[in-house]
Amino acid sequence: MKPWRWDRAKESLSEELESHLKMAISDRVVRGEDPAQARTAALRELGNVPLIEDVTRDHWGWLWLENLLHDIHHAFRRLRRARAFTATAVLTLAFGIGANLGVFQLLYSVILADLPVPHPEELVRIHVAPTPFDQSWTISYPAYQRLRAATPDIPLMATAYAQDATLDLPNRASIVASLEPVSDNYFRGLGVAPAAGRLFVQADERMGQDEWPAVLRYDFARKTFGSAQQAVGRHIVLNGRAFVVIGVAHRRFLGDKTGRAPDIWFPLALQSTGAFAFSWDSLGPGHDVALDKPWYNQPTIFWLDLTARIPPARRAAVLAHWDQVFRNDRELMTEATPDPAVKAALLRTTTTVAPLNENGMRKRFTTPLTLLMALSASIFLVGSLNLANLQLARLNARAHELGVRMALGASRARLVRQLVIEDALLVAVGALCAFALGRAASDILIRWASNRNSPFTFDLHLNLPIAILGAGLMLLSLLCFSIFPAVIFIRAGVSRTAGSGAKVAGISQTARQRLGSNVLLSTQVSLSLLLSTMSACFAATLVHWETVDVGMDREHVLIVRPDMHEPRYTDHRDTLPLLYNRIQERLQALPGVRSASVGMCSGIHCGWNTAIYVHGRSDLTNGQVHGQEDHVGPGFFDTLGISLLRGRVFSSSDTDSTQRVAVISRAYARQLFGDADPIGQWIGYEPAPNDHKFLIVGEVADARLNGPERDAPPMVYMSIDQNPAPANAIRVRATGDPTRLSESVRQALHQVDSTLPIDEIVPMATDLNGDLGTENLLARLAAIYASLTLLLLAIGFYGVMSSRASRRKNEFGIRLALGATRRHIQMLIVGQTARILLAGILPGVILSVLAMRAASHLLYGTASANSLAVIAASIVLAFAGSVASLIPARRAAFADPLETLRSE
Amino acid sequence: MAEDPKYQNRIELLQGTLDMLILQSLQREPMHGYAIAQVIRNRSGEVLTVETGSLYPALHRLERQKWVKSEWKVTESKQRAKYYQLTALGKKQLTADHQRWLQLVRAIGAVMEPEVQP
Repeated sequence: MKPWRWDRAKESLSEELESHLKMAISDRVVRGEDPAQARTAALRELGNVPLIEDVTRDHWGWLWLENLLHDIHHAFRRLRRARAFTATAVLTLAFGIGANLGVFQLLYSVILADLPVPHPEELVRIHVAPTPFDQSWTISYPAYQRLRAATPDIPLMATAYAQDATLDLPNRASIVASLEPVSDNYFRGLGVAPAAGRLFVQADERMGQDEWPAVLRYDFARKTFGSAQQAVGRHIVLNGRAFVVIGVAHRRFLGDKTGRAPDIWFPLALQSTGAFAFSWDSLGPGHDVALDKPWYNQPTIFWLDLTARIPPARRAAVLAHWDQVFRNDRELMTEATPDPAVKAALLRTTTTVAPLNENGMRKRFTTPLTLLMALSASIFLVGSLNLANLQLARLNARAHELGVRMALGASRARLVRQLVIEDALLVAVGALCAFALGRAASDILIRWASNRNSPFTFDLHLNLPIAILGAGLMLLSLLCFSIFPAVIFIRAGVSRTAGSGAKVAGISQTARQRLGSNVLLSTQVSLSLLLSTMSACFAATLVHWETVDVGMDREHVLIVRPDMHEPRYTDHRDTLPLLYNRIQERLQALPGVRSASVGMCSGIHCGWNTAIYVHGRSDLTNGQVHGQEDHVGPGFFDTLGISLLRGRVFSSSDTDSTQRVAVISRAYARQLFGDADPIGQWIGYEPAPNDHKFLIVGEVADARLNGPERDAPPMVYMSIDQNPAPANAIRVRATGDPTRLSESVRQALHQVDSTLPIDEIVPMATDLNGDLGTENLLARLAAIYASLTLLLLAIGFYGVMSSRASRRKNEFGIRLALGATRRHIQMLIVGQTARILLAGILPGVILSVLAMRAASHLLYGTASANSLAVIAASIVLAFAGSVASLIPARRAAFADPLETLRSE
Repeated sequence: MAEDPKYQNRIELLQGTLDMLILQSLQREPMHGYAIAQVIRNRSGEVLTVETGSLYPALHRLERQKWVKSEWKVTESKQRAKYYQLTALGKKQLTADHQRWLQLVRAIGAVMEPEVQP
């Protein structure tokens, strides 16, 4: 019997039995019986028709399915009737499972996922030598060519960092695209297949092409051109250079660096055009470094990251070979420092490998995400416990019905099955919502975790681990909130309740059941306390970093980012000081502006590492000479609110024709001179004899220029007027809210130079807080979790206490009749709540303290502040729990004793 | 209501024999359920009575095992009824069942009346 013929077969069976009956009757009538009597006798002979039908259908082999459908139908009807419970359960499950899926998705993408290429375990980053200033692992183009030629059978790929570029498309507004310059063997070496068109080949690396080849990321191609196929062959303009799209990378390939998905890949040879801003390090001034000439033949500019595909068995041999080949480059790199210890250390370094996913992202996010995963697990647990408790209360309310059904012969298994099916439906609906929610949550979490200027991009396709986690959580929740309560209840309670209504009403929960639900509630309290405490701590940490003294006037400064990388500025540097002066004067004339100034560093991601040597001091170590640099105009320190400690700041009298001067920060001064006065010291970029190019004229206070959560860097400031260069930031200090000045500043700049492109105008506070991704993520998510558990806890207390109060209605009625006060009755229930709260808060405090200790490096706060958080969280919890149980307590206390006694 | 005297001497069918009886009844011609019950009752001299509650589950079981097939037809008295018909597979099964049954009867007979044996 096929299930889809079920209904027809069922009708046919009924008809068959019907015809049997008719024939039996007519037989009897023929034999002379009275028709009515014949019918009765035949019916009796036939027996219990529905039972026969059931037994017969059982032989078809699908009766279980029919029963299941019946049970599902029944479950739907029941759920529709219990709307509040259904909504609570579905929402709890959706949030509980969804939060876990969302966070796990992020955890998986950041920490666990491999590149979607064949044999990802063979791919490694190659660390040859740390560069002199940035301590990055980049090498020069000639060195790369030598290494690649030395092992022709090992794919060795090079990538570089280039700043985002402007992409112009015909008849459309230009968009900003992120880039990754790559060597010609990049896609081949990684094993990436094209989704359309072709990927790079050796010819694409040719210098001086009229139209450069570009490969697009799949989603970017789809978003921009409609589809991968449509993108191929398109002509585009990037930073003013002509490109043709030769292909689109595989759908799942988002680049080789976690979180950073380039929109466009192009050949390394594009560096020679000078149209794109590359990241670099070098041997430093005085070592034949010509940044404005092509870099492909300069061994002293380090700009290429290396990735190789080496089978593990051959790794040691290949690395040793590369060490040999790289020896000359390593010796060259020692020239960057006079420090003999650093030279020796550099010569001792050997080439090493690092896994592809071992990067800054992973380092930064492993602990926060693990922690969030734990918090998500807690909220799931709280939700499940809460539902288990509600479920027990619900079952108790149904005790009579279930008892009667069992007395009528319903099997225990069938009853448990019906209860479980009801919950399975809930779980299924909840899980569906959870998957949708988890997906949305991932997007939101990624946005929260991202830095302001570089949003993360991850592959969010549903994958096996996520699906397994989702299914696992579904089963766990089903077990937790449905199967256990149902089994416990059916075993313990029902048989005794199968009596009269009066007896049922009088029956009290068994002590074990009550204890069970108390323990569930207490556990919830503990976990809620943990979540609330962590939420408070993370919020405090975020607030701390958002308000910490950064040594600058963070609330009143506006940063304007002009784009001056155009020939009319870069080729006429001598005109820049005059332009800067006019900009400053025009801006300072605006009402509400205190001061304005230009600078080369545009914000927290400047990271201009440098080294300065002091005249007459050959004893300085590398650790002392390294610091950060910026070139700024007059009024810079006043504009940022950095106070002058000694000497003077730059003025308009510092020009190209006067003595080169420098201002250093307290930290750099202490590093170089200890407590001695730095004013009047001579410094230079190189050791003697070139170590007296600049005269230190001032010392300023430290400022956290790299972001509020990083220490103030040792800074040396030079005058931008004495070494004119395009400014990357124009800063304006306002007397009030800086954002209100945006428009007038934009207009003023337009009046000074109508062709000056402006990329963005942001308040400095936004810029500084833009790097607080982890803190943001933790604070916001923990806050959501904490409020959710609080809500769940309130619902839990309300549900359990209501059901208990209604069960004890008669008892309360008698107590009231015997002279108990209403207050007394209320205290009975509130007292019970208080005991549960206390039993939960104590372990919760221990749990919180342990968690705070585990997360201590993510938290900013003293022990007293943290204990304050614990206490505050406990009070909030106790308040929520009490309020939630006060409602049923009042209801019980104000019930009419006569009413309850009459029903006895 | 008084018990029908006919039912007083009925014998519980041996397990597994009902299938054989049904198949045997169907050997000559296709029949509907009521007729099968009548045939078994009449041929056994009203000793064997097939309960409806056993007959129909058995018929549907036999049909599922493809020993019989069924068809809706109209009886002589213009009554729609479901007719069961023996299949080739059912015929084989009947032969096998019959053999086993004879064996069983012989064996039981030998045990119960050993003196009859030579």
